[in-house]
Amino acid sequence: MKKVLVMGGEALKNHAKGPVTKHVLKQISDHPPPEDIRTIPRIIEDRCIMCGTCVKVCPSHCLEMEKDDKENGMIWLLKPQCMWCGHCQTYCPVDAIHIDRDPNLSVSLFSFNVRQDYEMLVAKGSYKGDVADKKLQELIDEGGKKIKEIDEFRGA
Amino acid sequence: MTEQYRSRFRTLTDGSDSPPGADHHIFIGPQHPWAEEPAHFIIHLKGERVVEADIRIGFNLRGIEKAMENRTWRQNTMLVPRACGICSAVHQNVYVRVVEKLAGVEDQISERARLIRMFSLEAERVHSHILWYGILAHDAGFDTMLHISWRDREIIMDIVEDFSGNRVNPALMLPGGVKRDIPKDKADKARPMLNKLIKQVEYHKKVFTEEASIRNRLENVGVLTKDDAKITTPNGPTGRGSGLPFDMRKSFPYELYDKIDWNLVCYNEGDILATTLVRIDETLESLQMCNQILDQLESTQGELLARVKPRVPEGSYMARGEAPRGEDIHYGIANGTDKPERYKIRAPSLGNIDATLKRMDGEYVADMPVILRSYDPCFSCTNRVMLINEVTGEKIIMNQDEFARKAIKAKRYNRPFF
Amino acid sequence: MSDALKELEEILNVTLPGNLVEEVVKVEEGHFNVFSNATNAFELMKILREDAGIYHLTTISGVEKDDEFNVCYHIQHRIEDEFREVPINFTVTKIDKNKPKTPSMIDFFVAADYYEREIYDFYGVYFENHPFLQRLILPERWPDDVKPMRKEYGWEQIKEITMKIAKEALEEAKE
Repeated sequence: MKKVLVMGGEALKNHAKGPVTKHVLKQISDHPPPEDIRTIPRIIEDRCIMCGTCVKVCPSHCLEMEKDDKENGMIWLLKPQCMWCGHCQTYCPVDAIHIDRDPNLSVSLFSFNVRQDYEMLVAKGSYKGDVADKKLQELIDEGGKKIKEIDEFRGA
Repeated sequence: MTEQYRSRFRTLTDGSDSPPGADHHIFIGPQHPWAEEPAHFIIHLKGERVVEADIRIGFNLRGIEKAMENRTWRQNTMLVPRACGICSAVHQNVYVRVVEKLAGVEDQISERARLIRMFSLEAERVHSHILWYGILAHDAGFDTMLHISWRDREIIMDIVEDFSGNRVNPALMLPGGVKRDIPKDKADKARPMLNKLIKQVEYHKKVFTEEASIRNRLENVGVLTKDDAKITTPNGPTGRGSGLPFDMRKSFPYELYDKIDWNLVCYNEGDILATTLVRIDETLESLQMCNQILDQLESTQGELLARVKPRVPEGSYMARGEAPRGEDIHYGIANGTDKPERYKIRAPSLGNIDATLKRMDGEYVADMPVILRSYDPCFSCTNRVMLINEVTGEKIIMNQDEFARKAIKAKRYNRPFF
Repeated sequence: MSDALKELEEILNVTLPGNLVEEVVKVEEGHFNVFSNATNAFELMKILREDAGIYHLTTISGVEKDDEFNVCYHIQHRIEDEFREVPINFTVTKIDKNKPKTPSMIDFFVAADYYEREIYDFYGVYFENHPFLQRLILPERWPDDVKPMRKEYGWEQIKEITMKIAKEALEEAKE
């Protein structure tokens, strides 16, 4: 059986309700991201044993490491390349990795400079301080070179 | 047989190899506002009627199969769901079943883990189907239905986000089990939402079956008879709308689908309306399955993750799963190392193209968008947008509400968006 | 005659001649692997399609072994009264690596068209009697002799070729 204006009631109801977006203006401050949102990993320095499991299982190759032994080493993250799968957390043998759930993070997280936006997750022992800073600077310079290459390729 | 269906062999884009009788040729795509996915359709017309239709694909090759051979089995768990934007959970589910079978641990997966996997799959089916019939209504010129169905779709999206942390890519599964649990408080929160959605979907069904303006566009349009369906081998809802009662969950049960109470949906008419009703009825079935799963989760305990070694022993296995669009098939070959020797994926849409082209023979050109949409060409969506200020290079990511707030403010105070 | 072959014959209700079948392996309950070589595959498929009535082809996958190519047809035997499917992986073995050639199954399954063209693209396996065996997925500029899914082409090589194609396209667009 075919009828016309089956949705008439719905239309009238919506007319009385007013705009759907009106709640948006009321709740400007209280929109926290969901509790279990997925973001980038963080490593607890004391627990990390520099085994390299997280680097091996990372599907997007955004984690890399350099180390001497289990007390001396560093792991860095290429932030925009991380796809928030949480593999590193799942497979970490000592539970040293957790997912960052800081609500303010969601605004700053999406930097799309895929060549330069590195972050040092953990630097232990002799790698702490100068060595780590130097490595980060090196990586950023290298990324800058790559950006230049790509621009040339595009003919900019 | 090949003579009968030779239409898709005409791939010349300039129309020089046109079928006899055709006087107009319409070229759609690869970039076209109608289609979100790049595909090139060539439609040969005589007057207002379609004589033949043809398609060219391959504009979006990403090389996932090759990439998988260069990654380990563990890494691939997170690459596989990226094969499809919207039916990501089913790809991951089929993948983990392949790995579990090859590694020989499929008996160790606990019932609780399997139930959580099933919830993820069914929730995905619900949101994919609602999205699809919304767009179908939009293509038929019935935009009210699009708005209302997509408004109600947000309910299931919120549930998925609450359970998994992501809206469209839950990525809950791992070889050996699942990553996250569904605790009791979250399940209690989800139950009233699911019941509300059931009421809404019943209302959608009423609109599609009774409202004349949409029914006239869908009824007796693009009929695919059962005999044609047997030749062109459509799968999923496209086949079930034409009287082929095959659903992987019934015909070759995986996970715990044989232990849960649900009905197979099948219509015999073969037109677009039948395909639509298959999907709406399936949505209702999936929603009641979701409720059942949440009930069963309360009384089921078990280890969430069983240990699977990184090296997978030699062997090959083919696994299939019922994606929202049809049957999804993976064929994996392991060679004893931690990387796959070969991994083949076929997503359901490729299997449905033949049937869709067959549907178009002899139809009006005005019905083309609806028929082309009927096989659900799949695309991805998220509600987060990225804004880039061209002058300063500043980037902001915001969700729907933030975006709306900012836009309203900008309008009210007459100031730039940034 | 092995047990798996007997069981499969019982399900399909046909006799599969021993000289055509190389091996039948039962993977799990109601799931079989059937092996046959390139010379016998066509006749065996004819029995499966016409006598056993299998009409559903899900996909075809190409596999590269050390010294040969394999082409695997994933077909489903559908029993409509019981709402049941019996998946069969029909593997065509012993396809010569230097001159890869195998009979096309397009006479039996219309759906084989896309899948066989895909394998022709990716592996260079030539399907005899296919009426329109040409490029389906790879881009127009892709060099004809490069078959990207073969093991001889590594990830880096594929990247290089892709970049080369992109460069050519860009230069053409500039002109």
